[in-house]
Amino acid sequence: MEAFLRYWMRWPSVEHLIYRYLWVWGVCQSLHFVGMALLIGTVGILDLRLLGMAKQFPVAAIKKLIPWGVFGFVLCLSTGVLFITGIYANINIHPYVVLTSDVFLQLKLLFVLLAGVNLLLFYVTGMSKAVDRLEAGEDAPPLAKIFAGASLGLWIAVMYFARLIPSGKFQP
Amino acid sequence: MWDFLESIENSGFSTYIRETPSVLGYSTVLALHTFGMAFLVGLSGVIALRVLGIIPELPMKPLKNLNVMIVVGFWVNAITGAILTSLAIRSLLTNWDFYVKLAAIACALVSLVKMRRYAFGDPAMRDDAPASADARRWAKLMLFFWFLAVLGGRLTAYATYIRIQSAEAVGVAAILLLLLASVLVRHANRSRSAEATRARASAAEPVTSTR
Repeated sequence: MEAFLRYWMRWPSVEHLIYRYLWVWGVCQSLHFVGMALLIGTVGILDLRLLGMAKQFPVAAIKKLIPWGVFGFVLCLSTGVLFITGIYANINIHPYVVLTSDVFLQLKLLFVLLAGVNLLLFYVTGMSKAVDRLEAGEDAPPLAKIFAGASLGLWIAVMYFARLIPSGKFQP
Repeated sequence: MWDFLESIENSGFSTYIRETPSVLGYSTVLALHTFGMAFLVGLSGVIALRVLGIIPELPMKPLKNLNVMIVVGFWVNAITGAILTSLAIRSLLTNWDFYVKLAAIACALVSLVKMRRYAFGDPAMRDDAPASADARRWAKLMLFFWFLAVLGGRLTAYATYIRIQSAEAVGVAAILLLLLASVLVRHANRSRSAEATRARASAAEPVTSTR
């Protein structure tokens, strides 16, 4: 399994791109941040509405923002994959070693996964459809508030652990 | 002056934040700086999306209430930004990219205030009404300056030649994206006007008399 992951996670083409064009890493980091701002801005406003802090919005109108949040997530995911697969070109450490020894990276990925599970449950339990009917001033059901609070907390945790990744310990 | 800056950099507070092995030091200040940025840029970006007519379904007036979160995001960013600057103030003040970042933030904040003034200035305005041309202009400028501020912020950590290469790459990408956007907008306008012409033609057709 380790041999498979070591082979699969290192992409020489991405490493070459980062070696050859020195701007790639910095520009992708900027795009990662733009994606994060889009994701937090759009998903955050929906979460705040469900928690009762921006009740003036009908929920259906706020949900129109979700494609922009998805776009932000895709931007983060694609640049994040580039960071992992090309990290050897930046710090000379195999991505497998980084992934298996940096506890902050592991926590970040865990919280991204939990945020995804939370979103899935929001749809599967029918809460997504239930809140669609909420007009301005109406309160969200308690279960929807729990999902919204969890979503906000999980994304904040993702950002927090992402910032701690460079201070993680690598054990090659 | 240089001695004064050195004393700030070597003060007990700055040294603690910079050198403590605890994650509650430098990393947490950096994380708070990111939270502030996400709320400030993210929420003002949502207002810009409505002002630019990209999401016309969002009611205009309630967006004004996002101001509280935007202001909180700004102050979190300003305080943590001042702390982070104090950790390496001498190298930052001799880094031109740092001034680009600060200028971009100042321009973005001015654009945000102007956009808000034009978008929410008229109390009689309907929630579903399109924003004025002035509001749209300031919204575009604000998004541009926020992007520049984020880019400048990220690139302060890099060597000058990498910054210059990055600026060139972003410039080329921006020109290509603008060309693509102008082609798409022209195509959308053409199909919209063709649709309007068809609708006018069908409305003008004489109704067949039954007499």
